[in-house]
Amino acid sequence: MDTVKIQGSERTPEVDFDFGSNVFVLSGESYPEDVTAFFGPIIEKLEAHLEAQSGAEIRFDFELVYFNSSTAKVLMGLFDTLDAAAESGNDVTVTWIYASDDDNIQELGEEFAEDLEHARFVLKEVDPD
Amino acid sequence: MGFEIFKKEEAALAAAKALLQAGTLEGAAAQEHFETLTKAYEKLFKTTKRLVRMSDRNEAELNRATKSLDEKNAMLEGLSKKLAKYLSPQVYDSIFTGAKDVALRTERKKLTVFFSDIKNFTQTTEDMQPEDLTYLLNDYFSEMSRIAIEHGATIDKFIGDAMLIFFGDPESRGVKEDARACVAMAIAMQRRMRDLQERWRSKGFTQPLQMRIGINTGYCNVGNFGSEDRMDYTIIGGEVNLAARLEGNADPDGILISAETQALVSDLVQTEEREAIQAKGIRKEVRAFAITSIMDGFENESRYVKMEEDGLYLLLDLEKMDEDKRKQTITHLLGVVQRLAT
Repeated sequence: MDTVKIQGSERTPEVDFDFGSNVFVLSGESYPEDVTAFFGPIIEKLEAHLEAQSGAEIRFDFELVYFNSSTAKVLMGLFDTLDAAAESGNDVTVTWIYASDDDNIQELGEEFAEDLEHARFVLKEVDPD
Repeated sequence: MGFEIFKKEEAALAAAKALLQAGTLEGAAAQEHFETLTKAYEKLFKTTKRLVRMSDRNEAELNRATKSLDEKNAMLEGLSKKLAKYLSPQVYDSIFTGAKDVALRTERKKLTVFFSDIKNFTQTTEDMQPEDLTYLLNDYFSEMSRIAIEHGATIDKFIGDAMLIFFGDPESRGVKEDARACVAMAIAMQRRMRDLQERWRSKGFTQPLQMRIGINTGYCNVGNFGSEDRMDYTIIGGEVNLAARLEGNADPDGILISAETQALVSDLVQTEEREAIQAKGIRKEVRAFAITSIMDGFENESRYVKMEEDGLYLLLDLEKMDEDKRKQTITHLLGVVQRLAT
């Protein structure tokens, strides 16, 4: 199984998707010029992969410090996809990591988590850089 | 269908429209309600897409503005750091924190005023190369300013070779503590001068600078003088002139203080009364005291160890001695002792 690794830039997040071990990480800042062009290929690949999983242990870590509205929409879609994977019999853990001094990111994570019905949600506070 | 952030919403809308077109809904009323609902959803969907686009644009704009603001802040910070070098730290802080108005306003306050200059400076300038003089003066002012700032002084100005410094504004620790801080600073300066003189001598300057200091405590006018366009934060008054007169009468490497200051520091330093001074504008003679304990215990804290006799010249700069150098110097000195013993 392959992996997708994209280094973070000023406007785009770091992507570390390990399809073999079902561990996925999205971190950094996200306000791409073209949100569809950036997220399209990786989300399509992820959706196809998750649909094919059954009884798998899946971990998705979000460690974002800033994102724009389009990214927020992508994230909401991702949460739906992960929840659907959990509903179809996979053990899915979504971890939302935020800096202890960042109330905004914490609240956004809590709001996104409201849509999760089947996946496990973990809110993890870390020390600011 | 490729990835679209509103893929699911578009799919739901397309399905609803297909259902309407097929006309398979039971009953005209249901058909009509479903059509209304689909139209409302389509409108809401369009609005959401617009709002997200608008929000993205606003965020991008905000990001740009923040970045430009950060750059401007960095520039202003750099500029204010440069400006700070032209001002005393307390004056700079009181302006930048907004504690003091930048306005033509003065007040009467009891301050301790310090005046210093270099003995025979005019003569020295004539005998020296300008480059050497620049080196000596910069070395001298840098060291003295550092000591002044360490003691919480307000450096008013440098006038050629002279320095006007005061304690008690914009910050004051009380008249007595201000006077004591000023005298402690003056002593630290003269002690440092002793080290500097050794350094200058070792660099070949045959006439190292010697500083004279005068200190007086009394009521002065302090604040911004000048015009609305160009003001100077300084002090004026007879007590300032008296500090200058005391300085003029001080010994080279000495500190001469007025009776007013002496009363505030008598338990801190030893003094010796000198001939009274007749100052312009002051009817009575001014009693003057020379501090005699400037160098007490200095040998142990000096960075230099110096010995100079016929056939012996030794100058050790302890600040330059790291562990290795110390060991190396001990070996050298032991070698010298061995040669002397044989």
